[in-house]
Amino acid sequence: MSAKRKSWKNWVLFLASLVIVFLLGLLVSSITERKMEAKYAYTPVNKVKPGEPRNEKWGENFPREFESYYRTADSTFRSKYNGNASIDMLEVDPRLVVLWAGYGFSKDYMQGRGHVYAVEDIRNSLRTGGPTGKEDGPMPSTCWTCKSPDVPRIMNEHGVEEFYKGKWGKLGAEIVNPIGCADCHDSETMNLKITRPALIEAFERQGKDIKNATHNEMRSLVCAQCHVEYYFNKNIPGKEGTPYLVFPWDDGQTVEDMETYYDRIGHVDWIHKLSRAPMLKAQHPGYEVFKMGIHGQRGVSCADCHMPYKTEGGQKFTDHHIQSPLNNVANSCQVCHREEKDVLTKNVYDNQDRIIGNRNQLERLLVRAHVEAKQCWDLGATEVQMKNILHGIRLGQWRWDYAAASHGGSFHAPVELGRVIGKGIDITQETRIKLAKLLMTLGFEGDVPYPPIETKAAAQKFIGLPMEKLKKEKAEFIKNVIPKWDEEAKQREANY
Amino acid sequence: MGKLLRLIIPPKEWRTPVVILLGAILGLTLYALIESKAVSYLSDDPKTCVNCHVMTPQYTTWLNSSHREWATCNDCHVPHENIFKKYAFKAMDGLYHASVFTTRNEPEVIRMRDASEVVVHNNCIRCHQDQVVDTKLASTVSNHTANMTDRKCWDCHKEVPHGKIHSLSSVKYYGKVPEEHQETVPGWLKNYIEKLDTKSKE
Repeated sequence: MSAKRKSWKNWVLFLASLVIVFLLGLLVSSITERKMEAKYAYTPVNKVKPGEPRNEKWGENFPREFESYYRTADSTFRSKYNGNASIDMLEVDPRLVVLWAGYGFSKDYMQGRGHVYAVEDIRNSLRTGGPTGKEDGPMPSTCWTCKSPDVPRIMNEHGVEEFYKGKWGKLGAEIVNPIGCADCHDSETMNLKITRPALIEAFERQGKDIKNATHNEMRSLVCAQCHVEYYFNKNIPGKEGTPYLVFPWDDGQTVEDMETYYDRIGHVDWIHKLSRAPMLKAQHPGYEVFKMGIHGQRGVSCADCHMPYKTEGGQKFTDHHIQSPLNNVANSCQVCHREEKDVLTKNVYDNQDRIIGNRNQLERLLVRAHVEAKQCWDLGATEVQMKNILHGIRLGQWRWDYAAASHGGSFHAPVELGRVIGKGIDITQETRIKLAKLLMTLGFEGDVPYPPIETKAAAQKFIGLPMEKLKKEKAEFIKNVIPKWDEEAKQREANY
Repeated sequence: MGKLLRLIIPPKEWRTPVVILLGAILGLTLYALIESKAVSYLSDDPKTCVNCHVMTPQYTTWLNSSHREWATCNDCHVPHENIFKKYAFKAMDGLYHASVFTTRNEPEVIRMRDASEVVVHNNCIRCHQDQVVDTKLASTVSNHTANMTDRKCWDCHKEVPHGKIHSLSSVKYYGKVPEEHQETVPGWLKNYIEKLDTKSKE
C-alpha cells in the first residue's frame, strides 16, 4: 500500500506538484501581462482631452496625419479654374459684383484656401466687416459654425442656440484654431464623428438617423457638415430672432427641391440692390451635387479622392492634405482609372469648359436682367407689374448660383449642372421677354446698355459700394481688435 | 493500472496538502484557459487570431483587403481536406505560436513555415480553381502556366492579401481592432438633439 512507500518518494511527488503550480502561475501571469501589453501597444502616447480644439495636441500622437493636414497651408496649386491658390474671383469675373449687389459677396470673394487658413481668411475678408466690439459688425455669430474645432467646444459649453445668437464679433476670442481634428474625429477612439447639429437635424427631418451611418458614408458625411447648401432661419418657433443654421433638404436636394422649400417658407437671403428681386444665395451645395454624379452614385466617398491613402516608411495612412485630386492624380483617379494623368486631367477640364461656357452666358443674361429691371423701376413700374419678373430673376440666379457655388460640381455631376444651367438660361430669357414688354409699355425704346463692369473696381463703383470705407474699417479691425482676440485666446488656452 | 494508482494516491497523512495542490493546479489551469480565451481557438473568427497583438499587422492588412469579404484566416491558413486534418494542423500551429509568444521569440516580420506554405497554396487553388485552369489567362499573361506550376501564387501576386509591408512596427495606432458599431455623434450633441425631439413632441 501507499503507506508503505518510502517517504523521500512522497516528498518528490509533493515538490513536483509544487513546481507545476509554480510554472502554471508563471504562465498565467505571462498571459495577463501580454494582454495588457496589447492594450497599450497601440495606444497613443499623450492623452487628448475630449473636444481638444488645438490641432497640434492631436498631432503629438498622430504626426503623419497632422503633418499631412498641415500641408493644406500650401497655396501654390492652381488648376484651370480653381485649386488652392488665393484667387480674387471678383477680379477674374466682375459680373459677380453685379449679381450680388447688396450682398456681402460683392464686397470681397477670394477663392478658398486650405483648411488651415479657415480662421485667418474669415477674419481678413471684407465680408465680415470691421466690428469694434462684441455687438456690432455685419455678420451673425452663425458664420463661425464651419470655421473651427472651437465651435463644437463652445456649443457644448454654452449651448447650441446660444452659440448662434448675437454678432460675429461675440466669439472672436474663442474661435482661434482652424478647421482640424476635433471637427471630424472622436478624441478617444479617433472614429469619425458628426459635430455640427445642422446635419443631424436635417437627417432627422427627412426621417433618417445619422447614427446608423456606415463608416464609408461617414467618410463623406463629415465633409457634408459644411460643404452643403444652408441658410439662416430666424423664424424657428421658440428660437425667433436667432439665425439658426438649417439645411434646406426637407423636400430633397435638387435645385428644384430646395427652391420649392425656400418658396414655401418664403425665405429671402437679400433684396437685390439694382433689381430689388428677393434673391436666394446658393452657398456651396458640393455634397448634394456630388451625390447626383456618377462617382457619388457608385458609392465613392469624398475621402477616396480628396484624402487618398498614402504610405510613409511602410505605414499606410489617410493623407490629410485635403486638396483638389487634380494635384494628386496618381493616388486618387489612377487608383481606379488606368488612363494617363494628362488624359484624365483633360477629361475633367473638358467637362468644366463645357459647363462654364453656358454658365458665363447665363451670367451675362442675369446682369442684363438686373439692369433692365432697374430701368423699369426708374421709369415708374409698379410692384404688381414687377412681381413675376422679380421671381423669374430669383429663380434664374438661384440656378446659376447652385451651379457656380457647388465648387467642383462640373466634375462631380456635369449632366445635372448642364441641366440646371440650361433651365436657368430658359427662365432668365423668359423673364427678359417680360422685361422687354414692360419696358415698351413704360415707353422705353432701344436697348438698356450693358453696364461698364470691365474690372472689379468698375463693377463695385457701378453698384455704389464704398470700398475705401470698407477697407479702412477692415484695416482698423485687424490692427486693433485681432491682437486682443489672440491675446485673450492665448491666456485661455494656457489654462487648458 | 493498480500499480500506477498506488504510485499516485498519497498516504493518509499527505492527503491534505495534495488536495490543496490539486486545487491550485485545477484553478490555475482554468484561469489560464479563460484568460487566454482558449475556447475561441476552436472557432473560425479572425478576431481569435488577434488575441495575440503580434498578429495585428496581419489582421489589419487582411481587414483592408478584398479577401475580407470572402475568406477568414482559417480559410487560407489551415487545410480543408477533412475536419481531423484541419484541427490537427490548427493545434500544431497554435501550440507553436503559443510557445513562441510565451517565450517572447516573435520575429519582427512573421513569415510562413514550409508546412504552412503548402496549406495556403492549396487553399488559393481551392477557391481560384477557375483562374488556375482559365485558358484566357494562360494565353494573355506571359508564362502564366509555367509560373503557376513552379512558383507559389504569392511569388507574383505579392500584395495579396496582406500587402507588401506587415512588420510589427508597420502598424501603430492602426493596429486597433475596430469595434463592430461606431458611434457617429458625440454625447453632448446627442443629448441636445434628443432634448429638441422631446420638446417638439410636447
